[in-house]
This record gives sequence, structure tokens and C-alpha cells, in this order.
Amino acid sequence: MTHTSVRAGRRRLELVRPESAEAAAAALGNGAVALAGGTDLVPLLRDGIVRAERLVELREAIPRGVHDGRVGAGTTLAELEASPEIPQALREACAAAASPQLRSMGTIGGNLLQATRCWYWRLKFPCYLHGGDRCHAREGQHREHAIFANAPCASAHPSDPAAALLALGATLRTTRRELPIGELYRLPTDDNRRLTTLEPDELIVELDVPAPKASTYLKAMDRQKWAFPLVGVAAARFPDGTRLALAGVAPIPWALDSSEAIDRATPLPGNAYKLEIARALVRRALEAVA
Amino acid sequence: MARLIRTEKEVEGRYEEVWLVVDEDALDQWPAGPREVVGRPATRVTGPLRARGEARYTADLRLPGMLHATVLRSPHAHARVNRVDLSRALAAPGVRAAIGPGEAHVLVDEVGFQGEAVVAVAADSYAEARAALELVDVDWELLDPLLDPDDAVRRGQVVTEPSRYERGDVDAALAQADVVVEAEYRTQTVLHNSLETHQAVCEWRGDSLDVHISTQFIWGIRDEVASKLGLPPDQVRVVCEFMGGGFGAKNGAGDYTFIAAELARRTGRPVRCMLTRREENVASGNRNATIQRLTAGARSDGTLVALAGEFVNATGWSGWPAPTDGPMKTLYDCENVRTVLSCAKINTPPMQAFRAPGYVEGTFGLECLLDEVAAKLDIDPLELRRLNYAHEADERPFSSKNLMECYRRAEPHWRRRDEVRARSEGPWKRGVGLASQVWYGGGGPPSYAWVRVGSDGRATVVTAMQDIGTGTATAMTQIAAEELGLPIDRVGLVLGDSARGPYASISAGSSTTPSMGPAVRSAAADAARQIVGIAAQRYDKEERILSLEGGRIVSADGGSWPLEEVVGLLEDAQILGKGARGPNPAGMQVLTFGVQVAEVAVDVETGEVRVERVAAIHDVGRVVNPLGASSQVEGGIIQGIGHTLSEERLLDPETGIVLTQTLDAYRLPTIADTPEIVAELLDIPDEHLTNLGSKGLGEPPIVPTAAAIANAIRDATGADVRSLPITREEMLRALRDAHEREGRPEKVGARTA
Amino acid sequence: MLELKINGGSYEVEAPVGRTLVETLRDGLGLTGTKVACGEGHCGACTVLLDGVPVYSCITLVHTVGEREVTTIEGLREHPLVDSFVRADALQCGFCTPGQIVTASALVEASPEPSREEIRHAMVGNLCRCGAYPKIEEAILAWRG
Repeated sequence: MTHTSVRAGRRRLELVRPESAEAAAAALGNGAVALAGGTDLVPLLRDGIVRAERLVELREAIPRGVHDGRVGAGTTLAELEASPEIPQALREACAAAASPQLRSMGTIGGNLLQATRCWYWRLKFPCYLHGGDRCHAREGQHREHAIFANAPCASAHPSDPAAALLALGATLRTTRRELPIGELYRLPTDDNRRLTTLEPDELIVELDVPAPKASTYLKAMDRQKWAFPLVGVAAARFPDGTRLALAGVAPIPWALDSSEAIDRATPLPGNAYKLEIARALVRRALEAVA
Repeated sequence: MARLIRTEKEVEGRYEEVWLVVDEDALDQWPAGPREVVGRPATRVTGPLRARGEARYTADLRLPGMLHATVLRSPHAHARVNRVDLSRALAAPGVRAAIGPGEAHVLVDEVGFQGEAVVAVAADSYAEARAALELVDVDWELLDPLLDPDDAVRRGQVVTEPSRYERGDVDAALAQADVVVEAEYRTQTVLHNSLETHQAVCEWRGDSLDVHISTQFIWGIRDEVASKLGLPPDQVRVVCEFMGGGFGAKNGAGDYTFIAAELARRTGRPVRCMLTRREENVASGNRNATIQRLTAGARSDGTLVALAGEFVNATGWSGWPAPTDGPMKTLYDCENVRTVLSCAKINTPPMQAFRAPGYVEGTFGLECLLDEVAAKLDIDPLELRRLNYAHEADERPFSSKNLMECYRRAEPHWRRRDEVRARSEGPWKRGVGLASQVWYGGGGPPSYAWVRVGSDGRATVVTAMQDIGTGTATAMTQIAAEELGLPIDRVGLVLGDSARGPYASISAGSSTTPSMGPAVRSAAADAARQIVGIAAQRYDKEERILSLEGGRIVSADGGSWPLEEVVGLLEDAQILGKGARGPNPAGMQVLTFGVQVAEVAVDVETGEVRVERVAAIHDVGRVVNPLGASSQVEGGIIQGIGHTLSEERLLDPETGIVLTQTLDAYRLPTIADTPEIVAELLDIPDEHLTNLGSKGLGEPPIVPTAAAIANAIRDATGADVRSLPITREEMLRALRDAHEREGRPEKVGARTA
Repeated sequence: MLELKINGGSYEVEAPVGRTLVETLRDGLGLTGTKVACGEGHCGACTVLLDGVPVYSCITLVHTVGEREVTTIEGLREHPLVDSFVRADALQCGFCTPGQIVTASALVEASPEPSREEIRHAMVGNLCRCGAYPKIEEAILAWRG
């Protein structure tokens, strides 16, 4: 384990490099924050949205690579994009995510835990998700926001791979437990605004990704590439049926139990168009995996 | 011989009457077509330095002892500063100075937009300066922001009085028109986002100030800084050797220069003030949004009889009237035209010039309107434009206009539309659209250059201009090489420093090449005459039979000598040529023209729009460097695609806070959004314009792109998109409207007499 | 004290935890060829290679670089891509160009004859506001001269 500690301005920030997941988890909490690829965390630290006294660097601590359907949480999106061993939906979702540099830096574990792109949240409006009493997006600019479960918070979850993994029925192994990926996420409530069930000292270690008969990930965005999803649709066909999951449409990755479930959306005045896109992409995704 | 004249000067479409001292422009233009160097592709003279990361931009400057400034900018769109307490900030580690409202004229105590500067801090490091800002205590009194431009105009809250224009009798003409089309178009606020943010490093040397700045106008900065600080202009030196993009937003000194100058004065140290990307996107200007309520009347044969427009520019807290009404006045031969342009003063960041300001927005409205007229009359859109071709406007002849030739050269691209439409497949509908372009770009005096030739037979052009990335340094080098009969690698160029060369033009309004090029040629010709004079004495020949070609002195009677042999006689002496830009042709309009043909594919189920191909044909006079020119055309079109499809500054409707400050939320086009681009330039010298016949090319290519794409979308889908950007939301809305309209004989807002 | 391997050399730098790699390169070591244009991992101007892989140095903390070899534009000045970018006129203001070349160098290392589609996929994280994209594509296609 290496320590580096230098006085930075008024406060000391430290960095530790544990060599096992258990040691990393033990180092978390009490102002210590896990740092993997850093693509989301480093900007959030600079903006003061995440505060840390100690960074726990995970590069040596968390498994990396794909073996027999098990994906190390430290595997980068770039590695997954090129991996022949994982289902097509996950490969496509990784290839469609972010930019090449971000895919080379960002890990799948970190990607699942990335924060929303909601501009109000990122610009530190005192919004519901930050612990405030209202969602600024609901009455303000929300064209990129949630159409499902969008009250009291209309933020949209930006992860493409999370939707793919949800459709694929992936299981996560953390330093404490095993859980279906759907149980990683929760909607914010008045007494708990967090969007995941991960404890502050818990780390995602590995993902178990079942092999479907067929799967795909389709994504609508504002540029041809390198944009967060307006709507992402993952479909995976298994012997017992086809599962659908969406990105960019709810505060958390959103599972649809059927294509008709789209009709239960509650779009805001400025984002009803997402519903149209979702319908078209769900139909296309189902056709693609049929 | 210098001459004093009273003349009109134009920058970015704004004319003013000025006195100008001009030099005669005695040289005849070169014949049309490629020369030895001019008119042939040349790679960028600064290319290797830039590509190798060796070019030193303002951002790369590190002066000994330099401090870093940060700026506390208003987080509110409209507020009063009741009290500022700098004491905690001043006590913070590394802080050397802090200034508040009134201590530099750009720091204010009542803010009219988010991002307006209130306090600035200088510290040993950027991190310390940034940390200190959090210790500044400001007591804000929030005021209601006014954000709606229509509302502001209704209340008379405007930046300048509305400007009205009328020729003929629009109402009478509309009453007699066979068809009248009315439509409302909207364009969004667009952010420049040059990759090098706005910044300056200021250093005092006694009573003199050095300003290193990322700028489009070295001499304008010198005058603005001198005037605001009460210094004689020659005590301000402005330096900008390499510049990381401007697109119109870097014409002035900005608050950062004055902040750096004041903090440098107080600390006795050089101070850098550099905007972050987020500051850039609130405090450095924008292309203002517009609302355009337009009417066109036409006869059934396609003759336009009336054009009318009510234009509202959402100018922001301050700014000038970008001529959104310009294209309607100048593009077509229409006897009856009426425009009103209002500039709303609202609590949003002030506009700045952005690549053909006003004309980009106005062309979108007008050229979409023309296609709606063409559709109603069932006339081919290209034919409609030919039918209404303007041979002159306001009784002032064009110095040159070859738009008809542009239309002719557009035909092969336009004829592809049957084949393009036939490639529609499933939800993907394909179509083709076109739009015309008119813009300024004639440049003007004053501009000067010197050319120095030493005994090594190499020439150096010296002029205090800037190359903002458009490639003008290369064009100037080519022009000098051509005139001196030298290969381009024997000509150097010194630019970017007001202390090291004469006055040079602003790089805005597509004016650098047409302003500087003739001055450089004239300086090179002066040097060439002197060389010929020396050669005549050395070889005992008459001057009139000697010329400079291919690095040699060539005599018409057969002899030739290497240039070095003659100038080698100089030893430490130098040949110094001096040149100036002559006047623009009196009584003429100098304009650029063009047409673009866009091919698009639209996924009608998801609203996705892909631009697949754009053919651009522009008439900008003589083309000095076809390679660099094609890059300008491509770049303009790609920026135009961003403007059309993905870029939009969004405000929180309640507070007026800019929500799209970062480049994940504000979507610039990427390499994956780039269509096939076919760039054709007519390369016909303007015989009336200077010794070069070249107009500017920086802006024309962005002007018609949005309208061409929107018209292609209509061709593909039948949907009228009248609002930029054409996001998926807007595209799906327009498709829904078109669908609902089916079965109804009349278009919304249109009537047939 | 940190030890960094940069462009084949070894450097000792002092930096507080939290400092980014690009701050160290530009301010600490004077390697100003790497540019900063957004500072938050959105534009690509700051791209460098870590063990041959393009990353955004503006959001890479210098303490996480470790043993990995850093390659900046200063280490690629003799790369054929520099010439091909100039030949194709694949730069205008040039501020994004070092980052473009760094990213492209990794692409042509992995795929010496990239298709247009591969180029667009690999280069999409490097924004160019001047819009030199068509010529960037040409420069990479013709990188070997």
C-alpha cells in the first residue's frame, strides 16, 4: 500500500493504493472515496459536488478482464467493447458510450455508479437530488430528462452499459453480497436521496453476465456519437423470454416488463418526444433479437 | 502618394462613413487563374509548429513571476451587489491582490447577466486564486430577470432603437400577389467555443503595458486598452503570435484584459487572466437568438413582389444589431421590401459577432420561406431563385457578382435529387435542398505591410496582423512569393506584434485576405522594383526589361542571374518594401455570393437527421490558396451543421442561468457528424477590387447551410422545420404537424389569392 | 516526490494529490504542447497516451499515473502523422491538433490501415471547432505518406 500526502491549499488530500478489494473496502468511508477511472469522480471533486479527504485508488484492487462470463469491475469499457466473450448488447452499449478516451479510462464498475448529467444537479442548484425540496428540471429545462419515475426527481440515468446489463439480467458481486443489477439502484426518497443501494464502504468487484440467445443495444442521441443517451434501449432474448431495459429515461436504469409498459410513462411537457423514440427503438430492438 | 478620402467602411455588415488616408493602388491585377504560387495549393506555413505542439499560444505563455487571476462572475442573471468583502480572500494563501466593483471598469456592482464580472483575485497559482474566490463575501440583492425577447420589445426595453427599412409598397404588392406565404422562424443562441478560451497576460514595463492576448484584432485591442486606461496608444504593445480560434468573439479586449492589467499594475507582476470553458460559455459572447416573422408575396410565374419581415434579436444585456434583416434586403430582386429589426435588451449574456452575424440567422428564415413559396407555386426552388436574381441592390452596382454561375455549377448537385429520394428506405427518408448566400467580405483600408529582402535572397513579410487559424499567414506568404518571383519556402512572415510591424486589419468580417493581401503585394512589388533597380545597374540593363522569376533576375533579352547574386551585393544592407491597401471601388457594393446543396436522411420514427452530403459553390473573387480555401469552406459548413442540428445554449427559464456551460451539454459537431463536402470556388477575380481581386471566405460558407439542410428535410419528409436547432424533438414535432396537415388543402399561415 | 516516465525520459515532480496530469505536464514540466480546452474531459485537446492508450490528461490525476509511460505530442514530433496533418491541411487554428495527433497515433499503431469508419469511431473524442474533420480523416488515411 502506498501513501501520498501533500498539503494542497487549505486541506490535505491523500491517495491510497490498496492491493485487494477487501483492503480497498476497509479503507472507504470517513471521507475516503473510491477512485477507479476517475472520468466522473475527478470533475465532481473539482466542482465540490463530491467531497473527499482520501482517495482510494482501485486500479490494483479490483479485478480486470473477462473470464467465462464473469467481468471484473475494473475492466474498462474499451476492453468490453472489444471483447468477443460478452453479449452483443453489452459490447454495443460500451461502444456507444462516451468517447474513446473515456472508454479507455472508465471502468464498468464506475460506469454503473456514474452520476446523472442533469444540468441543474451538475451546476449545483439546490435540487431534490442534492437534498433540496424541489426538482428544478420539472418546471425548467427538461428535454433530456426522465419520462418514467420522474417525480420528485426528473434526472435521467446516463449509463448505456447499465441498461444493457439490466436487460441481460447481470448479477453483481460486491465486497459484501451478490445482487441482481436491478437491486443496485433505487429511486430517491425524502429521507434518502441516493440512487444506489451501495454502502459507502462497499465496492463492486465482479459482474456475472448471462449469455442470451440474442441481444442488442440501440441508442438515440444528439450527435452521431459521443453523447449521452436521450433514449437507449437494450433487449436480450433468453429461452424464458425477452427482457427490455432503457437508459436515459428515468433516474435509474429502467426495466420494462413488456413493450406496452412504455404507455405507463409520465413525460413532462418538454420531453414527450422521448416516448416516441422509445417506442420506435423498443420495436426495432425486439425485431433485432427475435 | 497618400490621399485623404471620405468613404464608407464596412465590418461585419456594419457601414460607417469615415475619413481615410489611403495609398494609391497602382498595380494591375494578375490575370485570372493559377500563377506560379498564388492560386495553387499551399500547406500552412505555421502547420508544422502547430502540429508539433511547438506553437506558443497565449495559453502557453509563462512569464517569470507571472500571477494567475480568477474572476468572481455573477451567479445571477440580474442582481445588485450591496456589499463586497475581500478581506478573507486577501488573507488566503498565495493571494497577492483582489479588486472589486469600480476598481477596474469591467467590475460592476449591478449585474445584468449571469457571468458579468464583479471581483477578481490574483495569486501565485491558479488553484490558489480559484480557492480565494470562495472566500469573497458578496451581499447580493436579487432582481427579477427579464428573459423573453418579445416581452422586452413590447416593453420598449431594447439595446438600440428599432431599425426600419422600406422600399416600394409592400401592402399594395401583397394585396395583388397570387400567393402569400407567412411563417415564423426561430434561431437559437449559439456559443462560439473556440478551443483556446478568451485570455490575456498583461505586464507593465514602467508606464507601458504589454498585452499578450488571444485576439482577432491586435490594433483594436491596442486602441481599446489605451483609451480605457488613458494611455497613449504607443505605450500599449499587443502580441498574439498563435491564436486558438475566435469566430467573432475575440474582436474586443474583454473584461479579462482589463482585469489582468489592473492586477498587474497593483502587484508589479505579470498577470494571466484566462477564462474557463464554463466562463467562456457565459461571459464571452454568443450568436443571439432570433425570432423572424416573415411574409413573401409572389405572382404565379414566380416573381417575388413583396418581402416583409419583423425581426427580433435576443441581443442580451448589451450588443449591437446583428443584421438579421440583411439577406431580405439584398439577396433578391424584389421591388417591395419592408423590414423592422428590434434588439431586445434582456438579462442574458451579451451577443458578440459570430461568423456572419445576422446573415446566418436571416438566411435561414428567408431561404426557407423561398422554398415554401416554391412549394406553393410548384416551381423548382433553384429556378425560383434564378427568376428573382438581383442584378443590383439600392441602385449600387456590385463590384462583381457571379451567383448565376454558382447556380449553374450547382445544377449537377441539384439534379441528384431524384436519385437521392429514391434511396429512401424504411423509416429513412432522403431529400435535397438548397439555399443561396450573400454576405460582405470586401475588406478595406487601412492595412500595411513591409517586405524585407536580405543578402541571402530570402524575403520576410512584416506586418502586425494575426492569423486566427484561417490560413491568412500562408496566403500572405504566397502573395509575396508570387510578386517577388520566389518559391514559397524563401519567404518568411513576421506577424502578431504591434511593436514589430505596421497596422493591420481586423480578422473579422471575412476581411483579412482582401485587406491585407493587396498591402502585402504592394510591399513586395516595392521591394521587387528596388531589386530590379539594383540589378539594372549591376548588369547594365534597362529596368523595363528585367523581372523576378523563379528566384532569378530575368532579362527579356535572354540573360538571367540568381537573385542571391544581386542581393548578395547588399552585405548588411537590406531592401525594404512598403505597401498599403488601396481604397475600395467607389459607389459599389462589394459582396460575396454562393449556393449550397444539402442532402439529408431523416429517420421519421426517431427524428434523427443525418446530413449526408453538402456541395458548396461560392464566389469570393480570386482564390489565393485553394487548399486552405477548401478547409475554410468545410469548417464553415461543419459549424453550420452544429448550428442546424445540435448546438443550443439553454437557459433556466426561471433564473436565466445558462444550463449548457460544458461541452457534454453544449454539443459541438464531431468527426462522426461530418458529411461528404464538395467545395467549389469560382476563382473569378473581382476586377474592381484592389490589385488582388480577392474577397474574404471566412464567413460565406456558414451562411446558407442551415437553410439548405432545412429545405432538404422538407424535400425528404414534407415537414416544415422553422426552428433551430432541428433536434429530434423539433423534427418529430414538424413531422407530426405535416402529418396532421395532410388532407387539408392549405398550409398553415398561407393563403392563395 | 513522484516519478513519471514521459516520452522515454524520467522526471521527478512534486505535486499535491488532486493535481491533474496535464497541470503537471504544462505548468510543472513546461510541456505545453498538450492543450487544455475544456478541463473536464469533454473535448480531447489534452489527450496523451498512457502505455499507448489515449486518455484525457485533464481528468487524470497525476498520482494515478504510476509506472505507466506517458506520451505527449512532444514525444511524437517525428511521427509521420505530423507531416500528414500538415500535408492534408488537417488543422486550422491548431489548438486541438496535438490532441488529434496523439489519438491518431494510437489508432494507426493498432490499425495501420484504418477504414473511414474506424477513424470516425476512434477520433470522435477529439473536438475541432474549426471543423478540420474531413482533412483529419484524409490525413489519417494517408498517414504513411
